[in-house]
Amino acid sequence: MEYALGITNLRKEYPGFTLRDVSFALPAGHIMGLIGPNGAGKTTVVKLILNIVQRTAGRIEVFGLDSLAAEAAVKSRTGFVLDEMPFYGYLNIDAIASILAPYYKTWNRGRFEELCREFELPRRKRVNALSRGMKMKLALAVALSHGAELILMDEPTSGLDPVFRRELLERLSGLIQDGRTSVLFSTHLTSDLERVADYITCLRDGELVFSTTRDEILENWALVKGGPDLLDPATRGLFRGVRQSPYGVTALTSDKEEAWRRLAGKDAVIERLRLDDLVFFLAQEESPRLEAWHE
Amino acid sequence: MRKILRMEYLFSRRQILIVLAIFTAYFAYMAYRIDSPRVFVIMTSIMLGLSMPFISLGREDKFKTAGLVCSLPVRRSTVVLGKYVASWTATVFGLGYALLFTAVFPLSKFSASEILSARTLLVSLFLISLIFSVILPFTLRFGLTGVIILLVGLQLLGVVAFALAQFAGRARNPMRIVVRAIEGGLRVLLHHKLTPGFLLALLAAFVALNAVSILVGRALYLRREL
Repeated sequence: MEYALGITNLRKEYPGFTLRDVSFALPAGHIMGLIGPNGAGKTTVVKLILNIVQRTAGRIEVFGLDSLAAEAAVKSRTGFVLDEMPFYGYLNIDAIASILAPYYKTWNRGRFEELCREFELPRRKRVNALSRGMKMKLALAVALSHGAELILMDEPTSGLDPVFRRELLERLSGLIQDGRTSVLFSTHLTSDLERVADYITCLRDGELVFSTTRDEILENWALVKGGPDLLDPATRGLFRGVRQSPYGVTALTSDKEEAWRRLAGKDAVIERLRLDDLVFFLAQEESPRLEAWHE
Repeated sequence: MRKILRMEYLFSRRQILIVLAIFTAYFAYMAYRIDSPRVFVIMTSIMLGLSMPFISLGREDKFKTAGLVCSLPVRRSTVVLGKYVASWTATVFGLGYALLFTAVFPLSKFSASEILSARTLLVSLFLISLIFSVILPFTLRFGLTGVIILLVGLQLLGVVAFALAQFAGRARNPMRIVVRAIEGGLRVLLHHKLTPGFLLALLAAFVALNAVSILVGRALYLRREL
């Protein structure tokens, strides 16, 4: 299989936060969602791929090329949409395009103009005067105008209205149909990923929880709901995150089949998982509440 | 690098013109008040050497665009080289404007030949190189705030040094060594006979200073987290 992105033992140490030896790979022609609670390290991973922060250790390969050794070659085939797009605020959209275009041999001016029309971007307007959503659209237009084969997106949908969000997701799905364009999509709006992502990578506190296909997650992971008696020494090993309330227990399991077997006869319901449940319960995993229960 | 220069030009051209328009009043005042063309050249070089790099680097700080530049398909070493060349271009442009303005300003106390001489230009370039060699690597690494801290820190260090000098007494004043070294250096620059050897030495020092500064700037910029 050909990979657009391969990350091996990536490590970044900040005071108070460490991204610990993260490894995952994104096959070419697919969309990968990068999920996790705030502070999990999603933005750090995107910045490390772009080399705008320096890694402490590890290796990043983009299109099979080392992202440090072949930095310019890698970046010329990579588009990015960052959470805070650092455009030159007082320049207008046309000026921004004229500054960025020379950096990309494959820049297509006609395509950029077409995208501006499609996204309703006022080309004479200063970037400072654009809303957050409009800035996101501009960043996306730039990324799509040079035919990027890997698009890195850090929280791209957070400032967008639901209509454009839906359009963006459809566009991303359309982009990968050529079999060579790939998208790494970091977001906390996990419902977006359920629509489009082929792979899901989950981070928590700087550690990789899993990186696998969306189908595998939806097949194997589930939510278990039951009364307070659901948690006992025989079942607690099944759960990776638990929420208790006076009315019962809701827990996350990564082995739906095993849960069916072990909970047979108990008054438990096994429900299909949604990705936001996954992030929520993984954040609960090994929380003080659960540790107290273990004791 | 041409792309970086183009970017810097589009980004900073208006601000450079605004600053030079404001500086015109200063140039006119200095040319009218000061008798020595050498003092004028030294003051103008220091002023332009300090202000011109900050126009583009300061704006990069303000708009946080370093993240954008470093995400583009260009090596960071090229970005650093581009910023040095852009700073030099802006400063030389400013210097050229200042010298020409003063040469043609009707109330100026200097003649055009006094201002537009090989020595004047060499002294200017050398002084600007000295300023850039300290300021630019620091600005590239820590941004405008870092430079302000550096300058304030240097001023405080100066205050402490003078206080210590007063305390130590005139005979053992370590500041005299520093002041005399600067004075001696400037005297050599301004009065030494313009022999080919002297010009070559000055040129070599100019190139070496800039080369070392660029290498340090590059090493620091590679470590910058955006």
